[in-house]
Amino acid sequence: MEHERMCEPASRSGAPLSREAAEDVGDVGSDTTSTASSYSASDYSDELEPEWLDEVQRNGELFYLELSEGEEEEARARASAANHVRFSEQEAEIITEEGRHRAGGAAAVTPRLKRLAGLLRRKKRPRGALNRGDGSTPPSILKNQAGGARHAGQQQQQQQVLKDVCVYLNPKRLASTPHPSPESGGLLEALLGVVHRGGPGTGAQRPGTGAQRPGTGAQRLTVHGLVPNSPASRSGHILIGDVILAVDDVEVTSENIERVLSCIPGPTQVKLTLETAAPGGGPLAGDEGVRGGGSPAVSQLVRLLWGEDTAELQMAVAHIPHAVMYLSLRLDAEPTHEEQEILYQYPVSEASAQLKGVRGIFLTLCDMLENVTGGQIISSSLLLRKQLVHVGYWKEGEHLLVVGLPSDRVPLIYLQSVVEGVVRTLRVMYGSLDSAFCEANSPRLDHFFCLFFQQLIQPSRLIDSPTSPPPAPAPPPTPDVSGTLFLDSLPAVRWLTLPPEIKVEVDTVLSDFEAADFGDMSEDFYGMRRLYVTLGSCLFYKGYLIANHLPKEDLRDVCLYCQHYSLLPLASHQRVGQLVIWREVFPQRRALHSPLLGYAEPQGRYFLLIVGLRHLMQCVLLEAGGCGSPVEGAVGPDCVYVDQVKATLLQLEGLEAGMEERLNAPPAPCLSCADWFLPAGAGLAGGQAARDRLPSISRLANALRPLPPRARRPSPQRSLSDSGSEGGHGEGGGTVMPHSPSSTPDSARKMPPATSSSAFARRDSLGSGGSDGSGGSGSLFRIPRLKHPNPFYLGSLRKSLTERETEEMNSTLKLSSGLENTLFHYVLMESVQGVFIAPTHRDMAQLSGSIHPQLIRNFHHCCLSIRAAFQQSLPPRERRGMSRQHGGLGPVKEHGVLFQCKPENWTDQKRPAPTMTYWVIGRMLLEPIPQEFYVCFHDSVPEVPVEMAFRLSFGLAL
Amino acid sequence: MLQAEGVQLLCLTASSGVPLFSRGSTKQLPFSVIGSLNGVHMFGGGQGALLSCCETDRGARVVWRVFRDSVMLIAVSSGGDSTVTELQLCRLLENTWNCMVLVLGQEELSNVRNVERLKRDLRSCYRLIDQLLDPGDDESVMGYLTNCADCLLPPNPSLLQEALDAFTQAADSEFGCLLIRGRVAVATEKWWRLVSQEVVLLSLLVRCMSGTTSCDYPVFLPVGSPTVAHRLLRFQLLQGVDVCTLCGPAPSLHHAKTELVGRFWSPLMETLHGLLAQTQHTPVPSIALHPDILALLLINRETSRSLSVPGRPPAVTPQDGVPPLPSSSRRWELLRLFYTFAITRYFTSGEAAAPPAEPLQEDFSQGFCHTPLHCYLVTEECKCYGLQTPQHQLFLLAALTMPTFALRSIATQTLTSITAATGF
Repeated sequence: MEHERMCEPASRSGAPLSREAAEDVGDVGSDTTSTASSYSASDYSDELEPEWLDEVQRNGELFYLELSEGEEEEARARASAANHVRFSEQEAEIITEEGRHRAGGAAAVTPRLKRLAGLLRRKKRPRGALNRGDGSTPPSILKNQAGGARHAGQQQQQQQVLKDVCVYLNPKRLASTPHPSPESGGLLEALLGVVHRGGPGTGAQRPGTGAQRPGTGAQRLTVHGLVPNSPASRSGHILIGDVILAVDDVEVTSENIERVLSCIPGPTQVKLTLETAAPGGGPLAGDEGVRGGGSPAVSQLVRLLWGEDTAELQMAVAHIPHAVMYLSLRLDAEPTHEEQEILYQYPVSEASAQLKGVRGIFLTLCDMLENVTGGQIISSSLLLRKQLVHVGYWKEGEHLLVVGLPSDRVPLIYLQSVVEGVVRTLRVMYGSLDSAFCEANSPRLDHFFCLFFQQLIQPSRLIDSPTSPPPAPAPPPTPDVSGTLFLDSLPAVRWLTLPPEIKVEVDTVLSDFEAADFGDMSEDFYGMRRLYVTLGSCLFYKGYLIANHLPKEDLRDVCLYCQHYSLLPLASHQRVGQLVIWREVFPQRRALHSPLLGYAEPQGRYFLLIVGLRHLMQCVLLEAGGCGSPVEGAVGPDCVYVDQVKATLLQLEGLEAGMEERLNAPPAPCLSCADWFLPAGAGLAGGQAARDRLPSISRLANALRPLPPRARRPSPQRSLSDSGSEGGHGEGGGTVMPHSPSSTPDSARKMPPATSSSAFARRDSLGSGGSDGSGGSGSLFRIPRLKHPNPFYLGSLRKSLTERETEEMNSTLKLSSGLENTLFHYVLMESVQGVFIAPTHRDMAQLSGSIHPQLIRNFHHCCLSIRAAFQQSLPPRERRGMSRQHGGLGPVKEHGVLFQCKPENWTDQKRPAPTMTYWVIGRMLLEPIPQEFYVCFHDSVPEVPVEMAFRLSFGLAL
Repeated sequence: MLQAEGVQLLCLTASSGVPLFSRGSTKQLPFSVIGSLNGVHMFGGGQGALLSCCETDRGARVVWRVFRDSVMLIAVSSGGDSTVTELQLCRLLENTWNCMVLVLGQEELSNVRNVERLKRDLRSCYRLIDQLLDPGDDESVMGYLTNCADCLLPPNPSLLQEALDAFTQAADSEFGCLLIRGRVAVATEKWWRLVSQEVVLLSLLVRCMSGTTSCDYPVFLPVGSPTVAHRLLRFQLLQGVDVCTLCGPAPSLHHAKTELVGRFWSPLMETLHGLLAQTQHTPVPSIALHPDILALLLINRETSRSLSVPGRPPAVTPQDGVPPLPSSSRRWELLRLFYTFAITRYFTSGEAAAPPAEPLQEDFSQGFCHTPLHCYLVTEECKCYGLQTPQHQLFLLAALTMPTFALRSIATQTLTSITAATGF
């Protein structure tokens, strides 16, 4: 496909594209007649000038994040749920296509009008917004209007329902524009993004709603339109046709709305009370109730990323001692002022001031220990306000970075990893610590470390995203601090295996993009040297890495950046409307490894471009100065490259259905829920007895044919899990099965078509363990379609098996040996590729129970310890050329811990609480390929972790 | 680098920072370093930040402790090959303080009037402290680390128990103990009621005084009676076999030596000879261990007693294809390290009765929401298995030839066989 550029050639001449320059370009561009391409007219770039251009900073960096909460499908899904109108996936697709097509067509016909609109918008924002909202209507609005049309059709049966919607408003964003005049929609439009056309007779007012109040000139505030990307449209709950009744419980009409809105002093969340149309009212109310009182507020994380009021978050952690300081080790004979050695310090709280007060300790220890022991200090512990605080050190040249963290958040054995992580992130972003901690960067560093500490100290506050991802239940309520700590510090990224055909397509699309040999990316197009060479890119879907064309170390750098800014969870929890990040980076691969003899990588500059659209996010590493033309000074993002990435992402969106299906698929190696192994109490005398009975009963079942697995377990939980998987199954669009939630797994299992009775018997026995666990979903729903790669793939061995047997093999993806499926959780890290696989969040959410989340937390905490043991025995990689002979235990290959758990509220006084024991085992493999494998399984079957790791990784398509 | 290998122990007055003594490495730290080590801690204390320990990338550590606001103890380990863990250093400081109290009494240490005199007095602790720093030839003694008395299980304890009870009674005391090679063979009931650290230190004291046939030594019990001294009477029955009692003013050493020892112990000389020979290699002669077990440490958590049992001695000539077994001293070192590893991460150590109000050490195991029961490690040298029951802790070192999946059953079998056979 041919992509057209949107900017003038001037911007591609290699000159630094500062903000002013870009604006000039935009102005020129509006007068020239460059043909609008089909792509540039698509819904994300139907403007002349990209939305993010205003946010490019002077040094060329850009961090532009825009949420699309509830836009597009989500809004439609909710609206349709409220209306009880079922849009099937196909229909929705058609509408989308239509919308796009129409918008595209309109834009192609009237490019000049759009340009004019863009120009106007820049001059006078509100009017431009109005034009955009009404003139070249983006598809999202079209869709809402489609919904609205249905409203109108069904109006007869509908009754008016009140709903509360919370929106986040920031009057400060208006500061740049001139005061909005009431004629152009005023604050209602500028601040809230609601288009209301005054005057009697305008707008589609419904009969009987009383548009005009008798006796007053005040009008009801009917929503006639929504400004795209405004708080109102982001919320997804404000629909065209709704009537705004109150703002923060203050009744509003067209008369007082401007006054009310102008009273909002700063960024805040306001509650809008809306009157909306809903049939019967019941379903909507129920829906809203489930969603926790309405619409999503913008999560703290996003507000933090936007750089908005962080004071509240900081207040919440002010009492917990934490601090970061960058100190100078050079002691001047004549200190000119008191705190000269402090080059940087954050935060300014009382507890951290105390740490600042004792900085002398850090400096002295660093200096003295080097003299006394010949080693660099890495940590010290001190007791501050009765709290144990660990202080991590990092010395670079004449300077010392000191990070103080409370011990209950970061265990000492992991402090070093945390410090190493933050140092590497800073190096990636700024080149070296010295250049990072220069005076000019101070506000940026404040933001950086605010994020850093918030993520470590109160991750729950950040993540408590008010919306739960639609299909899956909310993330576990208590944050898994160890889990984040463990997974984030793995030198790897979470990988999602995709079905081969999708994987191939994704890779092809990425390769096409990286080749950059088409359209205006190619050198031939303008006959000049290209600006940047694409070194590689990687693609994330909902926070999972699905394709990577970057070398491992570069991937790690990119991911450190993404992790630090929580971009990965952002894409999975929140729907990113548009994310554009551009900054210069300093890949550590080049810094770490001295070039091989005879070949040196070009001394270029490197830029990281991250573009996110909805659930997809692509990170591109660009090189300037090698094959590309050299750059000087601060360089801003180039529209062409951003648009190309966007185009790639839009192209990939077509594959999203396949990825979503993969996510919805039952976990590839079956997982069990810990709660299933704890007898519910009745009938079984103690956990020990129950556990002992498990295998024997299964064996019996094996011998006797489908003896119901029933004696084994009172099955409320199981039927629960089955109904859960049923939901996922139905969505996946596989075979349709009459499957009432009350039906037992047995009856369900008899359903699978086209299996002879003997095969069925075999499956039952073989899979009985598995089916007791999530195998219930696994074996049942796996049979018809087996699309994604199967870790259990048997390769050549498969040929010797009959077809039926292979099918059975495939149908029970069981990692654990023995009859029961005893696997609870696993993490497998492939060190070479720098990726790890683990059950997806959705898999984990499906296995909800009371014990299981605890078990996962425990697993992660234990993994911290296991990995620390591995790390200690590894040869030193990058650190300061030291020889670390830790603990003296020698290299640790395998480490396991057996845990025992009891149900929490065991009320039965007479009998002891039943117990369940499980192993958490970590295994480090250096041969044939370096891997680290962490697994958690029930105690009943002894496992050999090496074998499990092999089974899991074999055939893993990477 | 200024300091040689090993651990150095510094003692200063907490208030003024006057060095009291320094033990350990042959090469002393320069005074300026000692001064700054003390200085940073004092500075932090003044600012409300109590420094407890620090670590370098080569495994060197410094641990600070102030006892009763009067004495500051600093342990510096140099790291390198002989890594000393934080737990070991903390135990070392606590034991050193207890040794000082044992010899001098708490009174004299808390209220320092004459520093020079205190320095002189402290010299009498040097032997004990040196013993703590370097346990010497008998490496299987783990009491300093575990805070549990090292024991020995004689095959026929009742005979010895009766003799000891009678002897102790005759010496006008209730505290009596028979030690074989520094390990408690039998002790009176009251002796076991002493705090476990005291039992460990008294055993240590007796070991230190071996070489003389008898002695009368005043001791303060660090927990039991830190201000009032008792007399520790010790008599050597055989080379390596000592009997001791804690008693008041009577009886005199001479009386006890000439009359009581002969009366109660001469009939048992044959038994003691036999016992000494039997326990030459193992403290539990009645148990045969699995041949692949290299060493084990069994702790009774209720009685705070420990058994450290060596396994099959390493073969003189290494066979082809079989990785050589670690040497005997390496085995004990590995076992100590594994004990430290397991205790700091998963299990609770002996004195978990009352956690200190101010946690100077992080407790990693607090982070687990489920109880760890067993743990194992596979390293390049050996396999380690640890398990914890309400009553016991077992730490076991096995050869690499033992399959990993067999570790658990071997460990549990070993535990049951020892406890069943000896009632430990």
